[in-house]
Amino acid sequence: MGLPLFDAVSDPGPSFVAYAESARLTPLPVTAPDAVHATTVVALKCESGVVMVGDRQATSSYIASRDVRKIEAADRFTAVSISGSAARGMEFIRLAQLSFEHYEKMSDASLSLEGKANYLSPLIQRNNLTTPLVVLPLLAGWDSAHRVGRVFEYDGAGGCYERQDFAVIGSGTPFAEGALRLGFRPQMSLDEAVELGALAIYEAGDNDPSTGGPDFVRGIYPMIVTVTEDGYREFETPACADVFQRIHDRRRESGGVAGGTLR
Amino acid sequence: MSNMFYVAPEQLIKDRAEFAQKGIARGRSIIGAIFDTGVVMVAENPSASLHKISEIYDRIAFAGVGKYNEFDRLREAGIRWADGTGYTYSRDDVDARALTNYYAQYLGDMFTEGQKPLEVEILVAQLASPIRTTKLYRIAYDGTIADEPRYAVLGGDAETIRKRFGEITPTEPVSLAETVRHAVNALAGPERTIRHDELEIGVLEDRSTRRTFRRLNDAEVAALLE
Repeated sequence: MGLPLFDAVSDPGPSFVAYAESARLTPLPVTAPDAVHATTVVALKCESGVVMVGDRQATSSYIASRDVRKIEAADRFTAVSISGSAARGMEFIRLAQLSFEHYEKMSDASLSLEGKANYLSPLIQRNNLTTPLVVLPLLAGWDSAHRVGRVFEYDGAGGCYERQDFAVIGSGTPFAEGALRLGFRPQMSLDEAVELGALAIYEAGDNDPSTGGPDFVRGIYPMIVTVTEDGYREFETPACADVFQRIHDRRRESGGVAGGTLR
Repeated sequence: MSNMFYVAPEQLIKDRAEFAQKGIARGRSIIGAIFDTGVVMVAENPSASLHKISEIYDRIAFAGVGKYNEFDRLREAGIRWADGTGYTYSRDDVDARALTNYYAQYLGDMFTEGQKPLEVEILVAQLASPIRTTKLYRIAYDGTIADEPRYAVLGGDAETIRKRFGEITPTEPVSLAETVRHAVNALAGPERTIRHDELEIGVLEDRSTRRTFRRLNDAEVAALLE
């Protein structure tokens, strides 16, 4: 690759995608049957920011992987997660991370959270409308300008919608969403939001064959991520284990019954 | 009717070099130096928003003197090259030496074949990693690369400043604060002082994050100079 110089008229500006396309770094979309897919991830707003919880399993006709990372820091104040095609999803996360950093370096300013959310729209649109390898992301983060956590979800055509409460993606959505709808309250504390998000993923893992719940045998637990004014933070494995062990113990006590006081 | 006259290549090169040097000499100088835990770039820059020093990649920084529009375009090309290479291969494969070569080739081409040579001099700095060493590459307007072992000075008054800095600074790398003080004294010279808000300072240093570049703010610069 030579030195990518542009004259003022054809300059792609600070958008990495615009540059990558002009330099043909990104592969053209191809048609292929879906192989591995993923997931349940939830994102919820709380008093001090946002919480994201996501399972770790990649599924084809069997379990392809048990320790996939579906939530990543897109930058210091943004978490992005994916559902759908694993291959496209991983690429998507990489492109999001790189794009935000590229913009920051090129223009010496960070994109606003809304700017980051909008930036993903055309990428989703193009991917989903040109390949059967559909990918749906979720973006949540701390909006430094408005000092509030915000959650953005997308539809299959790339439409970007801000949610005032929570958002869910992936095959386990009905079960996770059910738990969130019953348990969500505005202005929850961070701890409460972590508990509720974990419960939603537990429910999805319990009911949806393509979602992995806590794996106590292998010590693999769904990822728990918080983004607050202090930035992106990922729970260490022991902390995740604690959260899921508590839910698991309660569920064992009730003999697997989820109802009542919403265990 | 053509007005082309024969010009000897020696004369052409000399004229072009003089032209570029004149352009570069109009701007203020920059010092890049290795300190005990990283690399620092110190520029005299009265503007707080038009930067001369910039992040290129995780462990690579850029500094330019001369015409702003010309070195800023090179800076942008460097970021694109680095992000593009890291995206295509791996973050580990982004090497300052490769980028320096591209810069040198481009500057060299423009010097001999361009409408006019670029009136810039640039510095590419790399912080050591397990697979690479700390490097300071200075690239002149004609594409000449200098691999500077301890420090590099860019700009019109480079020789004088280089001598001054060489006299103050010890052979072994010292702390960031000390290096910055030496650099500021060398940039200012005996008759002048530079206010802290007229300085632009960028640092490459390990802070347990992937990206090692950091721009010092006014307060941090003032604290270093105390």
